[in-house]
Amino acid sequence: MSETTLAPAPVEVQKGWGGQSVKRKEDKRLLQGEGVFVDDVKRHGMGYLHFVRSPYAHAHITRIDVSAAEAIDGVYGTLTGEEVAALTDPFFQISSAPGANIKDYALAVGKVRYVGEPVVAVVAETRELARDASELVEVDYEALPALVDARRAQDSDAPVLHEDAGGNLMWTGLYSWGDFDAALAEADRVVKIPELHFHRFNSTPLECDGALVEYNRGVGQWTIHTNNQFPGFAAIMMGPAMRTGLDKLRFVTQDIGGGFGNKITSHPQLVVCCLLARKLNRPVQWTEWRTDFHLSMSHGNERWFHDTEVAVKDDGTLLGFRTKALDDAGAWLRYEPLGGVIWAQVTPGMYRWRHIELDFTQVATNKAPVSPNRGYSRMQHLWFTERVIDIVARELDLDPVDVRKRNYIRAEDMPYETPNGCVYDSGDYAATLDLALQLIGYDSLAGRRADAEARGKRLGVGIGSTLDSGTNNFGQSQLINPELQFSGNNEVATVKLDIFGEIVVTLGTTPQGQGHETTAAQVVADILSCSPDDVHVRAGHDSYWNSHAGFSGTYASQFAVTGLSAVKGATEMLAAEIKKLAGAVFGGVPAEALELADGGVRIKDNPDAFLPFMACGAIINANNAGLPEDLDVTLNCRYVYRPPFEVPDVERKFGNLTLTYAVQIHVAVVEVDPETGSYEIVDYAAVDDCGKRINPQIVEGQVMGATAQALGAAVHETYEYDEDGNLLTPNFYDYHVPHALDMPPLATGAIESPSPFTPLGTKGMGEGGGAGIHAICAAIQDATGQIVTDSHNPYQRVWELMQQ
Amino acid sequence: MLLREVEYAKPGAVAEALQLLAANEGARALAGGQTLVNVMKARAASPDMLVDLNGLEELRGIELAGDGTLTIGAMTTYTELMRSAEAKARPILGEVCATIADVQVRNRGTIGGNVCSNDPTNHLPPLMVAIGARMTIAGADGEREVPAEDFFLGVYLTAVGPGELLTRISIPAGKKDGFAAVTLGAEGTCICNAAATVNGAVRIALGCVDAVPVVVTADSAGGVADAVRAANLTPPSDVHASSEYRTHLAAVLATRAAEEAAAR
Amino acid sequence: MEIAVTVNGQTYERDVEPRKLLIHFLRDDLDLTGSHIGCDTGNCGACSVIVDGVLLKSCMLLAVQANGTRIETVEGLSEDGELTRLQQAFNEHHALQCGYCTPGMLMSTTALLRENPSPSEDEIKKALQGNICRCTGYWNIVEAVKSVAK
Repeated sequence: MSETTLAPAPVEVQKGWGGQSVKRKEDKRLLQGEGVFVDDVKRHGMGYLHFVRSPYAHAHITRIDVSAAEAIDGVYGTLTGEEVAALTDPFFQISSAPGANIKDYALAVGKVRYVGEPVVAVVAETRELARDASELVEVDYEALPALVDARRAQDSDAPVLHEDAGGNLMWTGLYSWGDFDAALAEADRVVKIPELHFHRFNSTPLECDGALVEYNRGVGQWTIHTNNQFPGFAAIMMGPAMRTGLDKLRFVTQDIGGGFGNKITSHPQLVVCCLLARKLNRPVQWTEWRTDFHLSMSHGNERWFHDTEVAVKDDGTLLGFRTKALDDAGAWLRYEPLGGVIWAQVTPGMYRWRHIELDFTQVATNKAPVSPNRGYSRMQHLWFTERVIDIVARELDLDPVDVRKRNYIRAEDMPYETPNGCVYDSGDYAATLDLALQLIGYDSLAGRRADAEARGKRLGVGIGSTLDSGTNNFGQSQLINPELQFSGNNEVATVKLDIFGEIVVTLGTTPQGQGHETTAAQVVADILSCSPDDVHVRAGHDSYWNSHAGFSGTYASQFAVTGLSAVKGATEMLAAEIKKLAGAVFGGVPAEALELADGGVRIKDNPDAFLPFMACGAIINANNAGLPEDLDVTLNCRYVYRPPFEVPDVERKFGNLTLTYAVQIHVAVVEVDPETGSYEIVDYAAVDDCGKRINPQIVEGQVMGATAQALGAAVHETYEYDEDGNLLTPNFYDYHVPHALDMPPLATGAIESPSPFTPLGTKGMGEGGGAGIHAICAAIQDATGQIVTDSHNPYQRVWELMQQ
Repeated sequence: MLLREVEYAKPGAVAEALQLLAANEGARALAGGQTLVNVMKARAASPDMLVDLNGLEELRGIELAGDGTLTIGAMTTYTELMRSAEAKARPILGEVCATIADVQVRNRGTIGGNVCSNDPTNHLPPLMVAIGARMTIAGADGEREVPAEDFFLGVYLTAVGPGELLTRISIPAGKKDGFAAVTLGAEGTCICNAAATVNGAVRIALGCVDAVPVVVTADSAGGVADAVRAANLTPPSDVHASSEYRTHLAAVLATRAAEEAAAR
Repeated sequence: MEIAVTVNGQTYERDVEPRKLLIHFLRDDLDLTGSHIGCDTGNCGACSVIVDGVLLKSCMLLAVQANGTRIETVEGLSEDGELTRLQQAFNEHHALQCGYCTPGMLMSTTALLRENPSPSEDEIKKALQGNICRCTGYWNIVEAVKSVAK
């Protein structure tokens, strides 16, 4: 059902463990039900937290009475917005004005702004009792009109969510590179697209958010067992708000049941847990249920593109585009407005046009707050560029394959500087497309088209070509707000040799299924000349391990670059120390004369002079008398990898925003039932180029997962609201994610264009850019003969297209 | 998750179950629980007492009479129906059951629970109506039989009154049946469905277009689409389909179900 | 109510509220946290267990309804800590990423293979229809099951 094809081009085979599909070290515990996920963590005397949530999309809170709830036997206590406002400061805002002026607390204060917003927290002896008591909390609301359509947000009569911001505009910025007016003058044609819409959905990790928080009153420190996937960010948000130092916030995770970006912005709920753990002097446990998650957590950015103009030559050469992007942030800026710049990592998509103007506006609406979702903000923009390509091809009556190949950035132009100063590191887009077309059998499609028609179906083929930009330069945040003091990136690993010679690795990351324990072990094994089985990579994350930095976490397609480079750096330090130690033990042998092999270190031309790792560990840790005084060896090495970045030019909005660009080219074949608009994806090919692959099987797994999520989003998944701001798809019954029977046959392929900018030649990957969404939209356009203007195409929309 | 407090009783006989239901106004029968428990998780319904029917052997089993009539106990699961040799006498039953939800739900969910919940997106209500099923309802005053057409009264509302239980469903002999549906993904939540049976004329029951299955008849499969249009349906609009789209689907699916039935 | 259930061969007697769902009973009362909760509508199948030989979702069953039954959960699959063939196949075919759905997937496919030791690809997909995975896209899960099918 799925096949992998390697590019016919020669692929350099790596020696050693890197490049091999080593079986995952994580699996054994997970297959036996012995993983530790956040809801598995228990503590004596813990209380269960349940949130009272707003039934209104927009309302003043006029009264809260928790007395009936608190009077119940077994209820430990409550927390209200009023208490939160007294005990904490509003969360730091990333935005410049007007978004900077909003006041965001961990619970609603004075007003609610979306259905499902946490208003009061109740803690009780059992989960059931906490929910029972929450029903006794009395909250009086004075309903206000709701704003659900971002396009109405700036109307003079629009309801205003945040009076402090003076309106619903949160952030706006004009991006302009090249000379679009000159492009218009040079163009043979200008293709105009009045409106395109990228819909609201997210990745719905199967495990929802949660935490167990303990407070150590004596030292004023919280231990936060949580599945937050970016503790570095959570700490930066929580510490100042809670008026505490970051070292008082200890984040601990082991296994995380999927994240996909959706578990970055749980800091408000974590603050509530912390405050209650302190107030009630007992551990507080919070588990978010599925409906809670759908109502309130981390929707993907909904985006409109208005008044798009594309300057093209008659032969399909693209000169540039101009558009207005309108982004719906929902009720709060929890990670926003970073989406207002993140898209710019892939400004031209995969194409050579040089004249680009994009007017970005982000507004608040009475819907759940948005935050990163697999492909964050780039996916929206890449969907736009891919739609533009296919619409241009249709308007000019050109083959979408030809238009792509004519305009793709060429392999010989790599590294390629984009109009806004990003540097695409490597890749051969045309060759990648060719492999995808070969996998799908593009040349035999005419016959399949006829066959489908004979069965009363219409066949459609579509291409999605995207980039997964990875390893952020956080300096791009300064394009949003020049006051911000963030730039660059970092990640940390420690590698040590323990007393009995065990190799122990700690990571700063918070993996959610990406196999970090395995790939880290592969990198270590190659450097120390041992087996990955000999390398113990600690599961999960603990900020007390001293192996985290400001940007530690698992997000934004970067582990293969930041995480593994940190592992590489730390392991090389350890290898050097082992040689230094051995050199001293052997009586002054220089490092060059030594080599690591067979689980130890030896003198190259005297194999009998061998010191096993066990001896090294024992000597340094427990048997160190008599070692030279100046021997600077601990066998416990910490390395911080810092990618090479400059601070972008804020004035020109110019600079390198990400280090690596993995390539995805997908081709979908659909069969549409013209009578009902329902359709089936009957064939699918996905080719990925993420540079060197440390573990090809894990890479392919990420490609598959990203594909499945894109297909779900393209066909079924959507967060739809009614005009009163009620979410109409609050669970898996109405929010249909793909099931096994929904999946098409899949052929995967791989090309390896090593990144010249990373220590291992790797590129971040895993997000996938949403290539599947683009491929499906293009296939629907092909099958129906109508221009597709929405990223979400449920059966009814397709049926409506066919009525046109 | 996290239900409100509820009492639980597991009677050993139908008579005892009826007594419990009659004596406790807030009591509800618990069949497979594949709908009811979810409704209770959402706290959209909170019965005071659950009367668990899973111990009632009287309500299980499938019998095939000499005239081809099938009698199916209300607590028969979808899986049992799919596997039953007797139920093959009316093949459409097992075929439709095989497309309901998933293995786990089919292993526990029951034909009686399905029809008694009368969720308009369920497959069995229109199927029961189309093939002329008859429902036997037991109460304090004994049993009564209700044709499927009169059984479904409204959304989540059937002819089973307070203190009563659906005990069995009888289905006449027949083979020329068809069923068609558009669902969210393969075998997902239903957007519109149609069940058909051909016995001389074509009899269609449409689901998801009204609170109860809507019956449409035609002389032949070719006349079904016109007959559906003549029914002037006004289906509800929701997040999955507009009224207009559902109306359109009803005609298409009715025709497909009728064609399938006619072709057998 | 007092109930007695046998889980993975061990009998537990506990006093539970009738409203407690079987999944909460397994996870919270018996500390068998291998079975997971991924939804609140009975869709995701992460809580799938085998009750008296029948594959069920333990979130749509009350704990009291399980009184007197024999329950199998993911914790009981392997013997002496060794992975079963099916578990090994999941490892070999990279049929899990985050691992959250995996216990349910294993129970569903274990039940399938008991009833049908040589399922076709379509039968495998049909058997997985009640289990949601958000990481793998199911392809490798199907491959893993195929590899142990006779």
